[in-house]
Amino acid sequence: MKENQKGLIQKINGDSRFVSRVVSMGLPPSSSFLVLQNDGRSPVLLYSHDTMIAINRKECAQIDVEMA
Amino acid sequence: MKTIALLGQPNSGKSTLFNALTGSHQHVGNWPGKTVERAEGYFTYGEDLFRIVDLPGSYGLTANSAEEVVTRNFVEHGNADIVCIIVDASQLERSLYMLADFAGIERPVMLVLNMMDVAEQKGKKIDVQKIQSLLNIPVLGFTASNLEGYSKFFETLKSAIENPAKISSAKIREIALANASKTDDGKSASDGRESSPVVALEKLLDGLDFGRREKFWMVSKLLENDVLVCAEVKAAMKPDAWGKIQKVLDDEGSNGGLVTGEAKYRFISETLREVTSAAEKIAKLSRFDKIATHRIWGKFVAFFILVITLAVSMTIAVPIIMCCFGLQGVVEPLVNNALGAWPAVASFVNSVIVGGLAVTVAMVGFVFAILVTFGLMEDTGYLARSSYVFDSWLSRLGLHGKAFMPLVSGLACTGGAVCGTRVLDTRGQRLFAMVLLWSIPCGSKVAVVLFLASVFFGSAAPLFGIIYVALIFASFWLSAKLFGRKLVPVDERVGMIMELPPYHKPHWKILMKTVGRNTWEVFKKAIIVIWLISFVFWILSYSRDGLVAHSLLYRIGNFIEPFTQIFGMRWQLFISYIGGIFSKEASLGVMSVVFSSSSDAFSLIARNEAGANLGEMMRAAISLPEALAFIFASMFNVPCVLTMGTTYRETRSAKWTAAIAGYYFAISLGLAFIVYHIALWAI
Repeated sequence: MKENQKGLIQKINGDSRFVSRVVSMGLPPSSSFLVLQNDGRSPVLLYSHDTMIAINRKECAQIDVEMA
Repeated sequence: MKTIALLGQPNSGKSTLFNALTGSHQHVGNWPGKTVERAEGYFTYGEDLFRIVDLPGSYGLTANSAEEVVTRNFVEHGNADIVCIIVDASQLERSLYMLADFAGIERPVMLVLNMMDVAEQKGKKIDVQKIQSLLNIPVLGFTASNLEGYSKFFETLKSAIENPAKISSAKIREIALANASKTDDGKSASDGRESSPVVALEKLLDGLDFGRREKFWMVSKLLENDVLVCAEVKAAMKPDAWGKIQKVLDDEGSNGGLVTGEAKYRFISETLREVTSAAEKIAKLSRFDKIATHRIWGKFVAFFILVITLAVSMTIAVPIIMCCFGLQGVVEPLVNNALGAWPAVASFVNSVIVGGLAVTVAMVGFVFAILVTFGLMEDTGYLARSSYVFDSWLSRLGLHGKAFMPLVSGLACTGGAVCGTRVLDTRGQRLFAMVLLWSIPCGSKVAVVLFLASVFFGSAAPLFGIIYVALIFASFWLSAKLFGRKLVPVDERVGMIMELPPYHKPHWKILMKTVGRNTWEVFKKAIIVIWLISFVFWILSYSRDGLVAHSLLYRIGNFIEPFTQIFGMRWQLFISYIGGIFSKEASLGVMSVVFSSSSDAFSLIARNEAGANLGEMMRAAISLPEALAFIFASMFNVPCVLTMGTTYRETRSAKWTAAIAGYYFAISLGLAFIVYHIALWAI
């Protein structure tokens, strides 16, 4: 996804520890987000539920999203 | 006395509330048998005394880390009369996840919506009364950083205690079941409900007693694969019954956590639908954040901000330090005059009492500067940005990006930076950062090492700087091997998922109060340690006629010399090395004592006098291999007493302080040994 695109979280893959971490940070399934920064190398910056969240690229690959 | 448990996500203003309520009446210790910090404090309202326990911050209640286990245990089994959940009103939906995760624990609860002022600025309108009637628990909307607004807090607290209200998980259960019936295609609605893992697990749990927890809460924690609940249920059941539960959980996999998580958020958004309204705003990265989070520029910005804020806070501290040394210069001759008849007493007062005090105040000045700097960065939200840009570097060691700021400020003052590790979230991370910090040289350590190098090797001194930097990275690597795995378990390391909270104005009043209190605490601890150690040194080096050869030090030195020779250090050098533990400058002071004839190692005047011809004296007395051994030993010597004092204060563990000190003794002496023997062989 590119900067300034909106998306919806669909599914979070990975172990329960990872799932609970992502969910409790405020990114449960069906929540919407906006990509603030995605420069191809550093962690991705999202905006969701009134705050900014940074996620490593490797971890991003474990989260399925759809464009909104 | 009533006990309040304070529960909230990071950045919700939990510590602001805690500090404002308790002021100086707080106590920090460890949770019994755990390596997690336990902060509790006391306050009175009217006639009543309250105890407030500040639970370690976490985003939810699933027990993944040691901190979260502590929080969970206290919420479930602790003796709190009321649980006070604090949330950020400006990000209500996300913040309320804690409340949704708590729902189902049958304990009296109150909800504090903090930062109402920020929410208002953002154009959010929140109907607090309506939230209260929807949730059926006492709710308060206020701003913790505004010290005038606390009467409202006390009123709500009082009513919450008089009319205890609990929050049930029934609605979340309904939502979870409704979702299950929707997603199961091809089956009728009721079939979906019946075959949902929630219902299946509830049936399997029939007949068990969960104390103060609702059955659905237990089920949802089982589905989230929560370690504590799984272990508890497993222990309470027959193996074959647990096998059935295990099968349901295995079928669900990590999907279970998604189902419950989604239901909790839906519960929140349904509750909030009618009570909040906000002007639609388009989120965009601010111009500053664009630079602050940039892969390359962000790193420069972080250095720049750290240096600027340190410099500004040092300008507050430096006059105090200068005054202190100025006074020492004035007091020393006065003491000599007044106590001229008893030279032993005069020497004691000057080198132990006055000297110790001056050194402590100077060092604590650094602690103050670093605490102000870090407090500001944390308060404003900038700290998270710096962690974001440095996380990729530090995660290789197993540390969080947040450790960057304390590690870099170690270049200013190791002892102060040890206090700065408070910004890290877990005790393991803090201890590990401290281990690394001890090998980062502060300004005076660098000065001493380069001074010695230039005395003996002249223009080759810069080479030592390069070797030093390489060795520091090598020691990081070694520390990561030896301590990293134990302190920051690999399976607890999660890839970076962190919040970059919105910027806030700093809360000067509360910040300065907290920093002032902490600095004073450090001073009290440090002065005692420093006086004690100065006293021991004084006793050892004192002789009636001022000749070293007549002091205890000389006798001990000669006695241990056969041993210290192994490391290439004659007793004079070894004693100087030991003096370096007191402070880096003191190792030069001790050298001037042991290599010349007389004077006090810690006397300012003596040090200044000796400094002038110290180089010449040393060149005459010390061979090159010996000098090399001493220089390398100094590089990784224990930083100073203040560092030991603050490390002890921050870890609250003599064992860990001793372990870290022992580790650095071993490294520095080992290095001296290697360098000395190579040099002997080569030269």
